[in-house]
Amino acid sequence: MDFELSDDQRAVVDAVLALCVRHAGPKRAVELRNAGGGCDAALLEALAAGGYADIARQEGMGLLEATLVAEVVSRHAGVVPYGAQAIVAAGLTDQPLVGPVALAHDWDLGEPVRFAAHARTLIFGDDDGVRLIPLAAGDAEPVRSDFGYPMGRLVSDFAGRGADLGAGAHARLASLWRLALAIEIVGAMDAALSTTVDYLKVRKQFGRTIGSFQAVQHRLAECKVLIEGARWLAFEAAHKGAPAEGTATAAAYAAAAATRVARETHQLSGAIGFTREYDLHVWTLRLQALSLELGGVSGHRRVLAALRWGLDTDS
Amino acid sequence: MEFDWSAEDEEHRREFREFLAAVLPGDWEEIAQHGPGSDAQAAFSYEFCARMAERGWLTQHWPTEYGGKDADPWRHSIIGEECWAIGEPRGPQYMNVNWIGPAIMRFGTDEQKRHHLPLISQGKVLWCQGFSEPDAGSDLAALRTRATRDGDDYVIDGSKIWTSYANHARYIILLVRTDPASKRTRGISVLLVPMSTPGIEVREIPSVVGDRYFHEVFFTAARVPVSCRLGEENAGWDVVSYALQFERVGAARYARAARTLDRLVAICRERGLTRDPLVIDRLAEARAICEAARLLNWRVIDQRAHGSPPTADTQLARVAGTNADRHVGELALEILGPEAMESGTFADANFRLAMTAGVAVGATEIQLNLIASRVLGLPNE
Repeated sequence: MDFELSDDQRAVVDAVLALCVRHAGPKRAVELRNAGGGCDAALLEALAAGGYADIARQEGMGLLEATLVAEVVSRHAGVVPYGAQAIVAAGLTDQPLVGPVALAHDWDLGEPVRFAAHARTLIFGDDDGVRLIPLAAGDAEPVRSDFGYPMGRLVSDFAGRGADLGAGAHARLASLWRLALAIEIVGAMDAALSTTVDYLKVRKQFGRTIGSFQAVQHRLAECKVLIEGARWLAFEAAHKGAPAEGTATAAAYAAAAATRVARETHQLSGAIGFTREYDLHVWTLRLQALSLELGGVSGHRRVLAALRWGLDTDS
Repeated sequence: MEFDWSAEDEEHRREFREFLAAVLPGDWEEIAQHGPGSDAQAAFSYEFCARMAERGWLTQHWPTEYGGKDADPWRHSIIGEECWAIGEPRGPQYMNVNWIGPAIMRFGTDEQKRHHLPLISQGKVLWCQGFSEPDAGSDLAALRTRATRDGDDYVIDGSKIWTSYANHARYIILLVRTDPASKRTRGISVLLVPMSTPGIEVREIPSVVGDRYFHEVFFTAARVPVSCRLGEENAGWDVVSYALQFERVGAARYARAARTLDRLVAICRERGLTRDPLVIDRLAEARAICEAARLLNWRVIDQRAHGSPPTADTQLARVAGTNADRHVGELALEILGPEAMESGTFADANFRLAMTAGVAVGATEIQLNLIASRVLGLPNE
């Protein structure tokens, strides 16, 4: 048992931090959106060049290191499907995939899916299993969205397409996906909270900084408790190799925390929080998108109850 | 970073569970319902702690020179989790081993160590803590009970309130004001006072949260030798700050909440409630809350294991543990419904034990204040 980062892990986190300061950030996310939306190819390339795209498969590294990186990328609002590639794809298959990668279930067909319109490979789950599908022109179309990611609608039915990953891949896909969601939520929550805290340290009303009011402080402190809980749940699940119960726990907790943190940070930031010039929306709208994915809070909880206690509505 | 128990730790947990199964009486669940301050639980704690001491487990996390085995904090946390999960068979003695003993080790004289530490490490003594006063609750530094120097003695006058275990305790670890001109945290000292001292009177405050949970303790010209003082005169605030860092994560509330939740699920299953998707959703929500609390508490244990000074992560852990305890207590009422109104039922007993979680050992609001200032760096007024 050891909650401290190892020297290697610390080096990875520091390097990715420096990389994200250069290549990512909320301003960059807004710029990309204003330019028509899309995946941040330069950031993906920088992450790959640094060896972070397949870090989970490297000697001495694993899902935990990919998870550490994913948190940093999300905190810096990277417009890349890093979790889908470095956590989900890396955990599912040894085959190198052509990125960007999008994740979808059959029930996502016709719905907005993150990165679907920009992805070159789709990891697609249905009752029969999981398939890796190279996407072709016409498989997806962009969807206008304000929720922080380039969204696309999958318009093909994908019947018979792609390489089947075989039995067991279905549950594995869901579990890795939950881990990726949980840590991306943690990164976005942490950024939303620290943005808000920084603002409330300087914003004055009634002759004093808003952040000195106890009514405000307690709400921010409660958000911090939620964020730290979600972070350690994700780290533990990652270290254990993304066991299904652990990732369902992490995702259930994170997705519920996400809406609370988004609501509180907006409420405490006042009107400035709704403007495009101010960074907060970059993370809070993403938090909504992330909290809805893969069945959302109730879906994660259903899986958790089934795995923890064998409960399901048919039993 | 890694989250696996060592094989030795797992073996230790297994061995301790076997021990529990062997030594707990058949009616333990019934005894545990009434809280660690009840007569039955306090009495059982002597028997139980002596058996633990025989196995070398009661104070294994203490240094060998004080009757411990230098076991790392993880080892002791396993005992804490297993004990709290089933309703704390150590009774009030969990306080002794978690923080009263360590405070004596850190600040005590040789004589105090020689007298008190063996009693604690052999499981032969109950303590209570004399901190809160009628006008000094969350604002502990407002305390007014005074100890006036008279030759080689202190003469204590004043009163303490909400004191758990005062009726059973042989000693009280008492916060007093030794400099009457002082304000706030200055001028406070800690005294280790025998409860048999003439001039001490204990009155129970009947409560709804457990048998003999609260007491008032009155001091009327109670005279103790100066050698009872723990630490320097007027520097007691340092002693209590040190002790409280241990106390705030000493009680593994998350472990009890998680076990109570598992029992609630079993009851739901018997009642045919587990096909209700809303029930499933609420149970899983509670599970995630307990798990998050577990990890935040483990984070603090890890810092201790690394020898790091205490940080405000202790407060994060404390708030999360409190939330888990109360959440599960309330959920059992909500799911099981009006049957919980009957005294002694599962939901009734757990709800009433969990009620105090956000108040005991410092109100949640105080923890949130500390998180705001020390973790988030928010300014004071």
